[in-house]
Amino acid sequence: MRLYEGQKGSTLQVVHMDLPLQTERRLEVLGMLEGTKITVVNRKKRGAMIIKIRGTRFAVGESITKSIEVKEA
Amino acid sequence: MNSTKELTIGFVGNPNCGKTTLFNAYTGANLKVANWPGVTVEKKEGAMRLHDETYRLVDLPGTYSLTSYTMEETVTRQYILSDDVDVIVDVADASALERNLYLTLQLIELGKPVVLALNMMDIVQERGMEIDLHRLPEMLGIPCVPVSARRRTGLEILIHTVAHHQDKAQGEKIIHHHDLETSRHKDVEEHHKYYAMVYTDEIEDKIDEIGERLKNAYPELDHLRWYAIKILENDQEIRERYPLDFSDILDQDYEKEIINQKFGFIEEIMAECVANRTKKAESTDRTDRILTHPVFGLPVFLLIMGLVFFLTFTVGDWLKGYFEVALEWMTEQAAAVLSAVGAGEMLISLITNGIIAGVGGILTFLPNIFILFLALAFLEDSGYMSRVAYVMDGIMGRIGLSGRAFLPMLLGFGCTVPAVMASRVLENPRDRLKTILITPFMSCSARLPIYVMFSELFFGDMAMLAAFSMYVLGLAMAILSAYVIKLADKGKETNMLLIELPEYKTPNAHTIYIYVSEKVKDYLSKAGTTIFVASILMWAVMNFGVHGFTSDMDQSFGAAIGKMLVPVFAPAGLGYWQIILALISGIAAKEVVVSSCSVLFGIGNVTTQTGMANLSALLGSMGFGAANAYALMVFCLLYVPCMAAVATIKRETGSWKWTGAMAAFQLVTAWVMAFLVFRIGSMFL
Repeated sequence: MRLYEGQKGSTLQVVHMDLPLQTERRLEVLGMLEGTKITVVNRKKRGAMIIKIRGTRFAVGESITKSIEVKEA
Repeated sequence: MNSTKELTIGFVGNPNCGKTTLFNAYTGANLKVANWPGVTVEKKEGAMRLHDETYRLVDLPGTYSLTSYTMEETVTRQYILSDDVDVIVDVADASALERNLYLTLQLIELGKPVVLALNMMDIVQERGMEIDLHRLPEMLGIPCVPVSARRRTGLEILIHTVAHHQDKAQGEKIIHHHDLETSRHKDVEEHHKYYAMVYTDEIEDKIDEIGERLKNAYPELDHLRWYAIKILENDQEIRERYPLDFSDILDQDYEKEIINQKFGFIEEIMAECVANRTKKAESTDRTDRILTHPVFGLPVFLLIMGLVFFLTFTVGDWLKGYFEVALEWMTEQAAAVLSAVGAGEMLISLITNGIIAGVGGILTFLPNIFILFLALAFLEDSGYMSRVAYVMDGIMGRIGLSGRAFLPMLLGFGCTVPAVMASRVLENPRDRLKTILITPFMSCSARLPIYVMFSELFFGDMAMLAAFSMYVLGLAMAILSAYVIKLADKGKETNMLLIELPEYKTPNAHTIYIYVSEKVKDYLSKAGTTIFVASILMWAVMNFGVHGFTSDMDQSFGAAIGKMLVPVFAPAGLGYWQIILALISGIAAKEVVVSSCSVLFGIGNVTTQTGMANLSALLGSMGFGAANAYALMVFCLLYVPCMAAVATIKRETGSWKWTGAMAAFQLVTAWVMAFLVFRIGSMFL
């Protein structure tokens, strides 16, 4: 499944990221790599989300949440 | 300890770690602010004294890593590697230690003395979290000092530590990275002696090999291990600077592996050094449940924005009234004094109508600017501002703007000057330019008198509607322009929302004071100088003619220009030199269009019933009807904003080229729209 399909409150694990190199690198230095666990804090209908990575909250747009393959952690 | 050389301390840290608050706590507002050479990244420098020692403090841009993907990162790492920095203070948000430690590990790898400042310890304690301050420095091999920039605790201890740590003590075994205890690596003891972060055998072997080759090729090179790691990460800038052949070593992409292993070590540190992590952040989660709620988030935001708007313009304008009274008094006094000392008519006119009116006009905006930035500082420091990007993302995203661009646009309805300044809440320079471009289309309050006068003159019962339609039209033009730019930008989609949301906290008075005073000073100095020159120019155009100085506006160069431009404006229904001249004078300030009209058409008390009737009759006899009036209103809505706004745009974009391009764009848009409105309107009215 993709990240944007994740329910509020669920914890997911990154399987694969299908993003422009620049964006992927930005996410990597924030500690979001393949295998990282993500908690969905809040979500909007169109796919924008507030997620928690390694204890920090981030707002991410739908273009990102739709490009990240995740599985239930 | 009496060193002759002052110690230079570089402050490095993630965005939102409270680095600037800490920096300000040391230096106060006594900063030298400039740009880093060659780039538009801001450089802040300050000095402080402690126990008869002087310390030079340099605030580096907030960054998450030391790669070379952004300007901030490149600037930071180049400066740290230079001999200029003696000690690095790595400021970390202790309440989000896990993420902050990634930068810490990279800084340690550089091989320079590093001191970790654990900031926001007050929040850590509030949440019942505990950090093992004995184990953490053991694992990292650097001193760790708990501080709170907001409460101003631990500040002196941090500087003490820095002073004593400048010659990094070496020789002791510093770390225990458990995963690697079984390592059979040839130098593992050696590595552990000096480096907190030790990688797997495979990577360490490669780092050694690259380091060896670098040493042979560049014997002078310091920080070999760091360069070797960067080369293994395939860092473009470093690869180009040291173009050796490493193709046999770089047989695959090691960057991800290196990042992964760093975070692996960080997990280990967190497990050993931090207790009670689960309890943290509950209050932020509760607040976010309302403020970023999928449904209520938006109305709450609108409510907050409404309040900011109300404070800025209602309270601000009330204070502005007093400023205006004071200004009027000053003008009268200046005129009286000048004529008493026998100054000529021209000098009096220059000082009162030119300089005091122009520069003083800028000063009258001060209450608005002050209140606006007070409110913004409050929202920013509390942590809410970052949420705005999320709340507004969907709506603004459709026209290709960041969620935060909503704020400057809304403020534009009050006054373009603070609105353009508020575009600073946008992080991406491209987003800022786009926002600054469309903000003047939001009809500011100074344009209202124009709408009121002309709609009352020509639209009778529909006057309210005609005036209101200007606001709608302005908003529509702003959205349309943004949308067109978005379409033109297709392909290089820049709008990828990815932003950190800090924990909510009570805003700090000192932080707010620094933020507001910086903005106000900035406004006064930068806009003030431009305005000074511009007001003299405007005065000259309006008061000089071919026969020299004249107090008769229709003998001025302005009038000559107006007459010359009649053919240009005629197709848009504005081919009357008095109207054109009024529009030119409106560049000084939009409300001047009204007073200029009354002067140029020779009608006193233009706002009274009889005055209006006279003007209406006069305009009617010239063939200026409702369609012309509406075209004029449209033109006033869209054309170049006032001098103060243009100066602010110049200040914020830092480029005359952009300022000029924007003015041209606005002029063309105004003419085209006025033309369309006039042509279509003439068919019906």
